[in-house]
Amino acid sequence: MISIAIPTGVLLQGSLDLLRRSGVVELDREEIGRKLLVEKDGLRVVLVRPADVAAYVDYGSADLGVVGKDQLWESPGPHYELVDLCFGGCVLVLAAPEASPLDDPETWPPAMRVATKYPRATAAFMERMGQTVEMVRLHGSVELAPQLGLVDAIVDLTASGRTLRENRLRVVAEVGHSTARLIANQASLKTRTEALQELVTRLRAHVS
Amino acid sequence: MRATQEAVLAEMRRWGYRYVVTPSLENLDALALGLEADQRRRLFKLSDGDGSLLALVGERTVPVARLAAGKLRTAPLPLRLCYAGPVLTNDPDRFTRRREAHQVGAELIGASGSVADAEVIAMAARCLEAAGLHGYQVDVGHSGFFQGLLDGLELPPESKSGIKALLARRDFVGLEAMLEQTPLRSAEHELLLRFPALRGQADILEAAGKLVRNRRSEQALEELSRVHTLLGAYGLGETVNLDLGAIRDFDYYTGVIFEGYGQDLGSPLAQGGRYDRLLGRFGRPAAATGFMVHLDLVGEGLRRSGRAPELIRLDAAVAWSAAGLDSALRLGASLRLFGMRAVVDTQARGQAAARAWAAGLGARHLLRVEAGGLVGWAPAGGRLRRLPAEQVVARLAGGS
Repeated sequence: MISIAIPTGVLLQGSLDLLRRSGVVELDREEIGRKLLVEKDGLRVVLVRPADVAAYVDYGSADLGVVGKDQLWESPGPHYELVDLCFGGCVLVLAAPEASPLDDPETWPPAMRVATKYPRATAAFMERMGQTVEMVRLHGSVELAPQLGLVDAIVDLTASGRTLRENRLRVVAEVGHSTARLIANQASLKTRTEALQELVTRLRAHVS
Repeated sequence: MRATQEAVLAEMRRWGYRYVVTPSLENLDALALGLEADQRRRLFKLSDGDGSLLALVGERTVPVARLAAGKLRTAPLPLRLCYAGPVLTNDPDRFTRRREAHQVGAELIGASGSVADAEVIAMAARCLEAAGLHGYQVDVGHSGFFQGLLDGLELPPESKSGIKALLARRDFVGLEAMLEQTPLRSAEHELLLRFPALRGQADILEAAGKLVRNRRSEQALEELSRVHTLLGAYGLGETVNLDLGAIRDFDYYTGVIFEGYGQDLGSPLAQGGRYDRLLGRFGRPAAATGFMVHLDLVGEGLRRSGRAPELIRLDAAVAWSAAGLDSALRLGASLRLFGMRAVVDTQARGQAAARAWAAGLGARHLLRVEAGGLVGWAPAGGRLRRLPAEQVVARLAGGS
């Protein structure tokens, strides 16, 4: 039996829609939310936290996974990233208070202090820009940090930009674009090739 | 684990591979030659008295290559060598993987060509079998196939290294985006995107052959075809799949590459391939191919399928009453002389206490030496009988 891990949160509905649209399995949001593991139509669907999808897939406990690219930036592993599922789009941005002098990279201080939930993506971006950075790893409400003078700027995910505006922050630079991705375990691709390829092809064909 | 290691080494010996012992601590620069950047970062490093950097071995092919180019420099090629031992890697990633893992491996040094490739792949398959795994499979690919495709792309070198990096990360979404920006869209581009799906039996070679138009990829397909035929002669046709999408370190491997997979395990159990450039870096240029088996993963596979090797049981627990110690020691010695595993107690015990002690040891037989030289003999869970010591030894040696 093929198993697929799907994430709780903003990508859940899109994942269920895709599975239904492609005729793979029709699942009710309440049902999967209650049971966390549902076996139906020859497929095992497990519901896990967004940050945990890659772990289930990398260890082979799930053959496939739906996960935001933002999570993959932080969880590199031996999985195959197969398909851009094109939903759940958002942007990882470097943002600073409206009144901040931060603008073009020339205006950035010699060493910038940045708060983020995405230390790997931030480090890679700053290295590309040649910017020395001091990172404060926060776990929530990152927007608060610059207002209280903890950091110069934040690197955080935004879909509409509303949270940023509400906290009087503006975008200084784009770090990366994220959408939902379909990932696969490396060994499953070898040991269950046909079943997996068929499923991947069906899902790929129904990406909107 | 020890039993699995012994089983694999015994199989390697049957193929004429000589066991070598290599150091666990190596010069960092030397070790780095055989490793990807990511693997280099994960080595445990320390500095020597003179300030040079050392590292604990994270794999053992490089130490074996150094041995073949150093101490065994005058030994005639080809050399068939095998090894076993721990490898140590630091893991700064999100998972806390075990830092000490166990590998058994073999290297065939100084032999190029498909016959040598097939020998090593066939031996790898037989090693997985010897370890007790059922339902394993071996995927065989070729690093030259991808290199040829890449050479054929009309792209600036920086884009090519970008493609390599994306493939190394197995990021096909990124790869597709990158290839879409290139002006040319040929059958070879399509092939790059279908990379992970290029897998199956001999027919895929033909299908791929129609799509590639560069000498290097064609040559890779020819070599794979020969190796596949030879593996059929080894009786491994069913076990082996051809996998043009095999992704391994592109700069290190120079030819046929392969991986062994078990059922329901998320990562490869065995990995190997041809690395013709490594030995030259140590001053003795020679073609080479080899593989290693990840013992910890094999153990996991065996446990999951309920085939974990049984712990070796004790044949006899020899207990004694106050007057019987000398006889007990002699009895233990006689049993060992007949090849049995025997433990002699360190203190005198009564019959009931002796039974509990023997059961705790998991011994097949309890022998309790009593005053007057008679031995009380009780098979595990069986009835007690009293016999002279020689008769007990004779019966146990006879297999009762």
